Amino acid sequence: MTTVPLEAYLTVSLLLFGLGVFGMVVRRNMVTVLMSMELALNAVNVLFVGADAHLGLVDGQVFALFIVALAAAEAAVGLGIIISIFRLRKVDSTDEIVDMRG
Amino acid sequence: MIQWLVFLLFSSLAVVSALGVVLLSNPIYVILALLSVLVSVAGIFFVAGAELVGALQLIIYAVAVTVFYVFVLTAVPWEKALKKDSHYRVEGLLSFPLLLLLYAEMLLVFLVGVSVSPKGQFRELLKEFGNTEVVGGILFSKYFLAFELVSLVLLIGMIGAVIIGRKEAQTYDDRAS
Repeated sequence: MTTVPLEAYLTVSLLLFGLGVFGMVVRRNMVTVLMSMELALNAVNVLFVGADAHLGLVDGQVFALFIVALAAAEAAVGLGIIISIFRLRKVDSTDEIVDMRG
Repeated sequence: MIQWLVFLLFSSLAVVSALGVVLLSNPIYVILALLSVLVSVAGIFFVAGAELVGALQLIIYAVAVTVFYVFVLTAVPWEKALKKDSHYRVEGLLSFPLLLLLYAEMLLVFLVGVSVSPKGQFRELLKEFGNTEVVGGILFSKYFLAFELVSLVLLIGMIGAVIIGRKEAQTYDDRAS
């Protein structure tokens, strides 16, 4: 059950989360920004499940299920916002949305 | 030993595909790379013994959410986005040291956390019942309120997506002209 050490899960989760955050910063297209966010959420899920395998608990898997459900809701609302931004303003790049600039 | 090899396979595939998600320029290729990450993460879940979460990851993420992203990419004409640069290059270079700093901080926290983490208590229970029964039991007893709240959040998200995504009677361009 525990041939894979906890440090391995932590390393994978760390790499994925950092790449997700970096993608959120550098990406120009809004849809790919959302996809980088999914990457970061998956990194957290890997961490939860890996810690569960180490501790012998199942609570983290319950939280991982909640995260999956909330990510689905977030994808629905976020993509709806992107479609409505595109329909109203005909832009899909994050630096062209300047309506709320002070 | 074989578990370790499978874990290495899936995790290296996940990290390489995550690099693809961040670096590729064509959004369709990005979606394919994201799909590869999701399937690899499901493989990591199976290696860790979380069969229920892995199966739901495959069903919800790798099928439903990815297909949803593809639909949205067909609605937004991404050919226009291809003409522009797909990344903020200067901002990316400037924020790269911050990424390394984040890595260092997370590594520190993880090392401290691993050194003090306790060892498990449910392992015998897991051996006796299997993963799905234990997760279902704890989901419907200890976390039942949170489960119901998640269903409420999903309902609100669905209503919000419908309201946000519906066609407006008057658009910005109509008012401007």
